[in-house]
Amino acid sequence: MNAIILSAIAGVVMMFSGIFSKNKHALTNTAIAGLLILLIGNILDTYHVYTITVNTHDMLHFDKFGASFNSIAIGATLLYVLLSGRDIEKVGVNVAEYYALVFFALCGISLLSSFNSLLILFLGVEIMSIPLYILTGADKKNLKGNEASLKYFLMGAFSTGIMLMGIALLYGATGNFEINPSQSLINVPLTHGILGPLGLLFIFISLSFKVSAAPFHFWTPDVYDGAPSVFTSFMATIIKSAGFIAFIRLFSSRSEDLEVSWQVILPLVIVATLLIGNITAVFQQSVKRMLAYSSIAQAGFMLFALYGSNDLAREGIILYATAYSLATIGIFAILIRMKDYTFDGYNGLAKKQPLLAFVNTVFLLSLAGIPLTAGFFAKYYMLASAIKEGGHSALWLVIVALLFAAVSVYYYFRVIQAMYFKDGEAEMSETNKGFRILLVIIACIIILIGIYPSLLLDRLYF
Amino acid sequence: MNGLSLFLDVNESAAVDYFPIAVQLIFAVGFVVTMIAVSAWAGPKRKTSDKLETFTSGIATHGDARQPMAVKYFLVAILFVLFDVEVIFFYPYAVNFRALGWDGFYAVLMFVAFFLAGFIYIIKKGALDWEG
Amino acid sequence: MSETFVKILLGFIVLWPFAGFVLNGLGWHGNSKKAIARYACYMVLSSFVASVVIFFAIKSHGAYTVTYFNFLDTGSLKISFSFQADQLSSLFLLIITGVGFLIHVYSAAYMHEEEPKHYARYFAYLNLFIFFMLLLVLGANYVIMFFGWEGVGLCSYLLIGYWFKNNEYNYAARKAFIMNRIGDLGFLLGIFWLISKLATVDYATVFAQAQSLSNFDVTMITLLFFVGAMGKSAQIPLYTWLPDAMAGPTPVSALIHAATMVTAGIYMIARSNVLYSMSEVTMNIVAIVGLVTALFAATIALKQNDIKKVLAYSTVSQLGYMFLGLGVGAYTGAVFHVMTHAFFKALLFLAAGSVIHAMHHEQDIRKMGGLKKYLPITHITFLLGCLAIAGIPPFSGFFSKDEILAAAYAKNPLYWGLGVAGAAMTAFYMFRLYATTFLGSFRGTHDQEHHLKESPSAMTIPLIILALLSVLGGFLGIPEVFAHDSHLLKTFLSPVIATGAGEHLEHGTEYMLMGISVAIAALAVIFAISKYKKTPELGEPAGFGKILSNKWYIDELYDTVIVKPLNVLAGFLKNIIEKSGIDGLVNGVGRLVNYSSRQLRLLQSGQTGSYILFMVLAMIVIIFLWIDDHFIYKFISGLF
Repeated sequence: MNAIILSAIAGVVMMFSGIFSKNKHALTNTAIAGLLILLIGNILDTYHVYTITVNTHDMLHFDKFGASFNSIAIGATLLYVLLSGRDIEKVGVNVAEYYALVFFALCGISLLSSFNSLLILFLGVEIMSIPLYILTGADKKNLKGNEASLKYFLMGAFSTGIMLMGIALLYGATGNFEINPSQSLINVPLTHGILGPLGLLFIFISLSFKVSAAPFHFWTPDVYDGAPSVFTSFMATIIKSAGFIAFIRLFSSRSEDLEVSWQVILPLVIVATLLIGNITAVFQQSVKRMLAYSSIAQAGFMLFALYGSNDLAREGIILYATAYSLATIGIFAILIRMKDYTFDGYNGLAKKQPLLAFVNTVFLLSLAGIPLTAGFFAKYYMLASAIKEGGHSALWLVIVALLFAAVSVYYYFRVIQAMYFKDGEAEMSETNKGFRILLVIIACIIILIGIYPSLLLDRLYF
Repeated sequence: MNGLSLFLDVNESAAVDYFPIAVQLIFAVGFVVTMIAVSAWAGPKRKTSDKLETFTSGIATHGDARQPMAVKYFLVAILFVLFDVEVIFFYPYAVNFRALGWDGFYAVLMFVAFFLAGFIYIIKKGALDWEG
Repeated sequence: MSETFVKILLGFIVLWPFAGFVLNGLGWHGNSKKAIARYACYMVLSSFVASVVIFFAIKSHGAYTVTYFNFLDTGSLKISFSFQADQLSSLFLLIITGVGFLIHVYSAAYMHEEEPKHYARYFAYLNLFIFFMLLLVLGANYVIMFFGWEGVGLCSYLLIGYWFKNNEYNYAARKAFIMNRIGDLGFLLGIFWLISKLATVDYATVFAQAQSLSNFDVTMITLLFFVGAMGKSAQIPLYTWLPDAMAGPTPVSALIHAATMVTAGIYMIARSNVLYSMSEVTMNIVAIVGLVTALFAATIALKQNDIKKVLAYSTVSQLGYMFLGLGVGAYTGAVFHVMTHAFFKALLFLAAGSVIHAMHHEQDIRKMGGLKKYLPITHITFLLGCLAIAGIPPFSGFFSKDEILAAAYAKNPLYWGLGVAGAAMTAFYMFRLYATTFLGSFRGTHDQEHHLKESPSAMTIPLIILALLSVLGGFLGIPEVFAHDSHLLKTFLSPVIATGAGEHLEHGTEYMLMGISVAIAALAVIFAISKYKKTPELGEPAGFGKILSNKWYIDELYDTVIVKPLNVLAGFLKNIIEKSGIDGLVNGVGRLVNYSSRQLRLLQSGQTGSYILFMVLAMIVIIFLWIDDHFIYKFISGLF
């Protein structure tokens, strides 16, 4: 509850502080303070120290899973602002509004991590998405950004329509909006006819759009490429993970086996996502666009949590969200400072900035899922959950995923290759000491989790 | 069980339930089509160039309607719609005023507070400042 | 002493050397060699002092098992990162940190010619080695032991190839690494086997549940473990790396390839004595491999002319004795021999290092001689070491070797006979080495003679301490026949190592056996001194001696039987299979990915309208799929 209320209030506070203060650094510091309060509030919540109790009429359900994810999302946002705050200030004049929108998006995320009713799901998705449409077009003078913003909005509206349709159908089938664990959605009684399952299918499609699963991924590369890089970083990490949390909350309350039809659709979506994400990323020339496609590929892996939908999957998605968000935020933080976003722009970075090249390598290795990084265990948990759920029938899916993971090594290593083995004059804007220390800390966290994942996962069950 | 059998289920058991709806649908569509067809067939037709011209309340047309307009206008219009819609939420509250009690009152108070915050924000931002 | 205190202390014991590695490895001390050496030595000294504390804590309180955190937690298998400090491991702690410290001090002087950055690298590796070795003996389960096991292998590799500019040395390092890897594979498979049967790797649980294992499982697990031990402890057929490992600096040979790392195999088997005692087959194999190695290496040592090579083969041979001891159930005897061997072999190596140092890196004993008067301290300590290894009472080697031989006699008199023969050879080649090096007249160049002088005190003091230990160390395990209940070591180790049955011989027999072995050894000593004092072997050996001096041509045999056919096979695979088959396949896949990437990219047209069209099409397909999951199949079969 704290997370929802505090993030909304923090958003409003940010809005007004923009009116009273024009000092951009001060605004960034206000946002950091707000995020810290938010984080503390959420941690208090996790330990059942309630400051506010509101009767939500069972529309919200707070549990360890959601609270842990909130902490991760807020913590990642904090790191993100600490790392890239200076770059957010450079996007345009309305700095306070950017932060306000980030807070509102966090409010949506905290709704998504605790909804118990389809209405709240809808509200959460919308509260999370609408700020993003604006942030995408934050750089008003950039035509590409404007195009991306409009595109994102149009297609987002389309998917919202589909979700609303799905919710309406489900309401028609069951007569309420509740998500009842004992009578889980995915097995809505068939006596109610076709409406329930069809409604669920629509919600599935809409959420697939939000997490950019193929074949509903088309907006992703254009939007990620067109949006200001700082906001791409936010969208590609925290927002995407939140989409998966909503997905898991909605679909994993079921206790029985997957329906036959889901057993066909879900693997197809997973394979399509992996295929399109990985294969297309291979041919990109721009690192930013490569990251956009690779985020699709990573979504393919996260979809395994949906296929697995067991305890392993829940642990795994938390781990994946952390590993993926941290690594991507780090990579973007460095990317934003680069003068040239193409692969060639990284040539010879290791000679000029050995430390940054090294932490960037750690992040890329984590994304590629190399052992001793958090990314390895994240992928491991995903695949293990699928095997646990599907047994031998999931084996082919796991093999396909591993093959694509191998493909992904190719394009991640292209960056490492450029940094270490190619000669060139990689140009980079100034970085201060705090920035570098923070990146090193993130790299250490990634390695720490990679060696000892229980550190994170035990938090789920304290 | 796959989706196809769901369709079969519907056909066997619930088809009769949908019969009135089908009748209404056919009637609605049929009525419109019939009326248009009848008026087109039965009405007198006289086509001259004067008759096909745009004509409103006796004022002569001048130029294209697609003129560039100040963006302020849209801003004000959108803000109007926004607050207008928000005010509509008072209606359900007014109806259930007693039943919701103090909890409902606090909730609405919070709603109004956010609402006012938004209002103050747009004024401070100068969105309603027509000349600025 | 409280559990928490032990936990913290053990953590520090392990972390101090690691801190030394990190700081020296990062070049913290810059160019000051003094600071580098002092820092590294203090780290190990701190560990040694803490180890002494731990030792007394265990002596009064018993074993401690402390858990730091859960290392791996997957389903039924839980592996914790925990240390087990009991009698056995505390003994090894003392040996590793104590002898390790002396060798660190010695190294500070021995390596003084190195450049500062290489000097720092040397001490960083040495500290890292101590860290991994401590991990190996302290771990409370096989996985932690395996970490240490791999780590010491790595450090051994790094230190053998320390002078990396010499390609020969790099080959030696690689050989050591590869031979060790073969053994490690066996160890790893053994651990997997254990996990699949018992779902645990903790010593305590494994030994408690050992009875539930079938005979076949126990035999396979112990044999696989033994393969690991053969690699690490240089037993036939994986011993060839150890003599080549002498390429490393001499203190490294003393520490890693004589006193500590190579005894890891013995530690592992002594640790697993519960498992080994359950399998008669494995015990026999261990005993036979050990005995054959002991004899085989001893014959090679007879004809070597490189001072370090003689000591290397003698190490292989002594390790063979330890395995013989393990194989006949004399676990305490084997551990006892590990301890005394650590003292006298480290001493011999360091003394050899002192000689090499004085001779300006000359290692050929044919070019030495008469060093007695130039290097008095080195001479005395080396002589004491030789007496200890030859098994002359009352030096330490006598007690430990005798215990093994007595147990071997109880098992099978033939083992004893061969063992005594090996001991005689040991006495002979050691005193051949001693006589050729220190007695007679100097045979080197005039220039060398001019520069001959005793090593600095940083080198001689460790020699003196080790010499004292070599002389006195044996009294920790005085056999039953001399005094009742005076075998302190056995009493101390009894909680971890069950005393085997049938070890007790009649006193009369034992006196007789002892007398025979001592007499034979003494004869060999006198024979060797009288033979080589005046007329050392200077020419190239002929006949059988030539076979021995070429180490039975084992390296050449391996080369012909294993390496050459593999090369041929590799050539075939490389030129025929890989060029046309694999390469084509791999490149083909790469091209396919590239091609499809280019095609898929075209889908991303940038048109919102077409995006939405694709999405709607996809929705329709999905809904059809959901309605009928054979839709795609039907659709495709409808097309054709």
